[in-house]
Amino acid sequence: MYRCINRLGAALLGLLFVATALADPITLRFTVWDGDESLKVLRQVIEQFEKENPDIKVKLETIPDYATYHQKMLTQFAAGVAPDVAMMDPGHFQALAKRKALLPLNQFYDKTPGFKIEDYYKAIVDAHSFQGTCYVLPRDIAPMGLIYYNKPAFDEAHIPYPDGTWTWDFKERPELKDKDFLWVCHQLTKKGANGKVERWAFASGWPQLVATTLAYSNGARFADNDEHPTKVLTTDPKFIEAYQLASDLMNTLKYMPNSTDTGSLSQTTQQLFAGQKIAMYQNGIWEVPNMRKTLKPGSKEFFEWDITLFPGNAKHGKAAPTGGSGYAVFSSTPHPMEAWKLASYMAGPVGMTAMARAGIAQPAIKSLALTPGVWLPGPDSPKEQLYPYNRKATDEAVDTVVFGPNADYWPTVEDRMNSGLDLLWSGQSTAKKALTQGQERAQERLETMLKDEQLPAFNWPIGIFAGLLIVAGILAWVYLPESKTRYTKREKLENRAAYKFAAPWLIGMALFTLGPMVFSLLMSFSDWDIIQPAKWRGVGNYKEAGVVDPVFWKSMIVTTIYTVFSVPLGLFFSLLLALLLNQKIKGIPLFRSMYYVPSLASVVAAALIWRRVLNPENGLINALIYGGDKESWLGTILSNWAGTPNDPVNWLGNEKTALPGLIIMSIWGAGGAMVILLAGLQGIPQYYYEAATLDGAGIIDRFKRITVPLLTPSLFFTLITGMIGSFQVFSQALVMTNGGPNDSTRFFVFNLYGAAFQQLRMGYAAALAWILFFVILIVTLIQMRGSKYVYYEADVKR
Amino acid sequence: MKQQATEPMELAERKSDMLSAEEYVRITRRSENTARVLKVLLWVTLLAGAVMFMMPLYIMVAMSLKTNGEVAASDPWMWPKELTWENFTLVLSNPNAPFILFFRNTLVISTIATVGVLLSSSLVAYAFARLKFRGRDRLFILLLSTMMLPGMVMTIPSYVMFAKIHWVDTFLPLTVPAFFGGGAFNIFLLRQFFMGIPRELDEAAILDGASHSTIFWRVIMPNSMAALTTVGVFCFIFNWKNFEGPLIYLNSPEMQTLEPGLRTYQTLHNEQWNLLMAGSVLVMIPLILMFMLGQRYFVKGITMSGLK
Repeated sequence: MYRCINRLGAALLGLLFVATALADPITLRFTVWDGDESLKVLRQVIEQFEKENPDIKVKLETIPDYATYHQKMLTQFAAGVAPDVAMMDPGHFQALAKRKALLPLNQFYDKTPGFKIEDYYKAIVDAHSFQGTCYVLPRDIAPMGLIYYNKPAFDEAHIPYPDGTWTWDFKERPELKDKDFLWVCHQLTKKGANGKVERWAFASGWPQLVATTLAYSNGARFADNDEHPTKVLTTDPKFIEAYQLASDLMNTLKYMPNSTDTGSLSQTTQQLFAGQKIAMYQNGIWEVPNMRKTLKPGSKEFFEWDITLFPGNAKHGKAAPTGGSGYAVFSSTPHPMEAWKLASYMAGPVGMTAMARAGIAQPAIKSLALTPGVWLPGPDSPKEQLYPYNRKATDEAVDTVVFGPNADYWPTVEDRMNSGLDLLWSGQSTAKKALTQGQERAQERLETMLKDEQLPAFNWPIGIFAGLLIVAGILAWVYLPESKTRYTKREKLENRAAYKFAAPWLIGMALFTLGPMVFSLLMSFSDWDIIQPAKWRGVGNYKEAGVVDPVFWKSMIVTTIYTVFSVPLGLFFSLLLALLLNQKIKGIPLFRSMYYVPSLASVVAAALIWRRVLNPENGLINALIYGGDKESWLGTILSNWAGTPNDPVNWLGNEKTALPGLIIMSIWGAGGAMVILLAGLQGIPQYYYEAATLDGAGIIDRFKRITVPLLTPSLFFTLITGMIGSFQVFSQALVMTNGGPNDSTRFFVFNLYGAAFQQLRMGYAAALAWILFFVILIVTLIQMRGSKYVYYEADVKR
Repeated sequence: MKQQATEPMELAERKSDMLSAEEYVRITRRSENTARVLKVLLWVTLLAGAVMFMMPLYIMVAMSLKTNGEVAASDPWMWPKELTWENFTLVLSNPNAPFILFFRNTLVISTIATVGVLLSSSLVAYAFARLKFRGRDRLFILLLSTMMLPGMVMTIPSYVMFAKIHWVDTFLPLTVPAFFGGGAFNIFLLRQFFMGIPRELDEAAILDGASHSTIFWRVIMPNSMAALTTVGVFCFIFNWKNFEGPLIYLNSPEMQTLEPGLRTYQTLHNEQWNLLMAGSVLVMIPLILMFMLGQRYFVKGITMSGLK
């Protein structure tokens, strides 16, 4: 009887568990790169979704930094904790889809009543398809063949507003008047009395955008095949003449600001437009939400503005690049059907109506994009949501989009192709030269990437064994030389105490550091794309670095030059600052904090300032070098060396001076080392100085005999860590020069980052990292050998 | 010995050509005046330098007080015509990016990590600086070598490891490792300072029968305030401004910290500079305050109390 009740109880309990499991809603993780207001809209839509699907809970996660977003998706997938639904775009999905990290979506179409993939613009569905299967359900499309224009500027020049029927040609065609783009540009460019441009006619979100649009509409393409490119076609004369025209617009016709001009203004294209320094500019529809805030109706900055289509080529018609994004379902999700439900809801009519109403994105569903009150301005739209009026243009623009290559290996190829373009945009090179050189580099890279190596799987048992061997080797290296030393009793005690003190680090090393380090060393002998299992490549990665990779040596040299100059320079300035700030004068605490400010400031602010300081026309550095009348012997030497004898040096835009520019910039970070040296100065016992003064030592003697030797431990520290840091420098080049011009600031770690997270070649990246490791190690050991000059008070035997 | 002998002689010499009282006053005044002139010169140089180094803060503050339209229409170096404080209220009260919550999270992480680093790195540094043990010098090279491998190639294995023990989306990966050594940079820095403390100090303590932990707490730590403050301030600032770490390890919106959280104003194709700068200024203020407080301790060197 008792047993029976017991059993019944167990059964009931079991039922209860099943019931709670059934009632428990499924939680889906949903990741996007949106921020601020789009988050608000997304949350509202999610709330509605949860109401309609009470069995599903959605956790919205955001990674607003676009580059890190994709890095994190890969990392999470590798660790088995990828989200269920994630935002993706044409440039990134193929790498995941190809390796089966995303679910093909066509399997769900029939299971969802009312869903028709045909409702979506075909162009954006195709851009998100791989081998005929769609992997990302498009949410928005962002054609870039749009021009934002300033209506009063057109009124002032007595030109009718553009209706999109205009064309462009390689020469101005005055007979076509306002139907000719170059004629309009000519009319809208306003020059001051001194011949300087006061308002440019036109600008482009980034220089390559207009060049690519011109090339596309001239009938040229980047590659022979978008999904699987095998040939880089940028030496096509049609391509070259289009890129040359873009450069001419900036440098000879001066209808557009070039990189020097925008550098001196340090503003984005949208800001230049809102500040009426340009009359028109080309960019995607994503500019609208912020533009509405910048040009708020009623504010003093406001003027009437609208959008129109970028002109087509006189012979070939319109064509322009485009962007767009959508939602993908990770193959690791335990709830594929629910994940799809969420994705199709967010990218469907409900989700996209909300996004379109807020002006955030142009829906990828054609019918929504054409509904007044949704995407097009409706009768009930508030005033600030009326702009731009001509939103029909965005639909027309979709007919002209060209997506371009979307293969996962294309970004690497593109990076090589673009390496010389900075010089074209600043007028220092011709399109023919820049593109021919770029095409050679790109084609070479493309071919090495297409070489399909047949590699065996990575043998993990042997790998783990090798890892253990490495650890054993390290231990042997540490302990063998001393294994014969006999310790006295006191020494034994000291030894034991020391290990207790060092225990946190030893344990931490074993737990957190050694594993990942050894793992990366093993991976450096493999071919590993993060998603699929690693393959054994032997010394292939190291051979590739030394022999095949054209950027390897260049980046090594660039990094070495940077280190050789920036480390001593930084040491000098931080020592000088520390000595000055160690004086007893008024306001010293404040001064110390002020000199540390650059180390605390935001990178954006720093980049703004340095672009301005290094600007050729009105920058501080050039003002000091060239003086007021722009003539000085130093300036002449510098200009001749830079290869631009008649112009002030264009620091960041010139192949020879970009790296020195970054070195100058590094002095700004002297505040960090200054603090350390200051602490070092304070650590010198005051009575040494007192004793020395009593002994009659002068200020110089005291500096040489006391300050310098007693500061050597801190100086040594600053030198070693400064050097280790500068070999790994990365973010400056990313923000200021993006590795250019012509690879002149392509730092070693910059290259490594590209290999790891853009090309998904973790094995190769690990090999690069370990090469750098040994370079730094050797240099450090040499410095430590030569460190006999370092004076440690504790070593002194008295 | 030799110097002691010469000193009285010098004094005697000086005494022999004693100055008249008037002349003495004149000379001391003159040297005082030179010192004053030098000080003023130094002060002016420092000020000029400080202006250059303060430029980023100026730009940040100026932009944070402009409207979106003004940021676009005016020169970034121009001071706003009217101060737009709404940027600050907006950033502080934006429900899409709850600043106060981010602030709290960042404070928790930074404080815990700083405590951990100060404790553990000083212990380890003590061993490397003042004690002899088997394999010390080569272990020290091993310690330095952990700084030499670019962290990017360790991101994935570390992440996988933390995911396996379910630490992802908690503060643990950002705080716990701090208690295990606190990083080679900090250990190395403290070791350098500890090595600068004269041996006499601990030898005296050893004679009194003190253990190593007594020496560590009573002799080394009190005499290293400058170095410890430096490490503490650096560590706090690093964690406060850490972007990559929280971005990779934290998922939930309510776990976010300041630096990644503020990126919400700078997403792809949508940069609201006025809000971004207002946020950055708010992030910086506590750091500047802390630095100004901390720098009082940078000047507290070895006191040498109890030393003859």
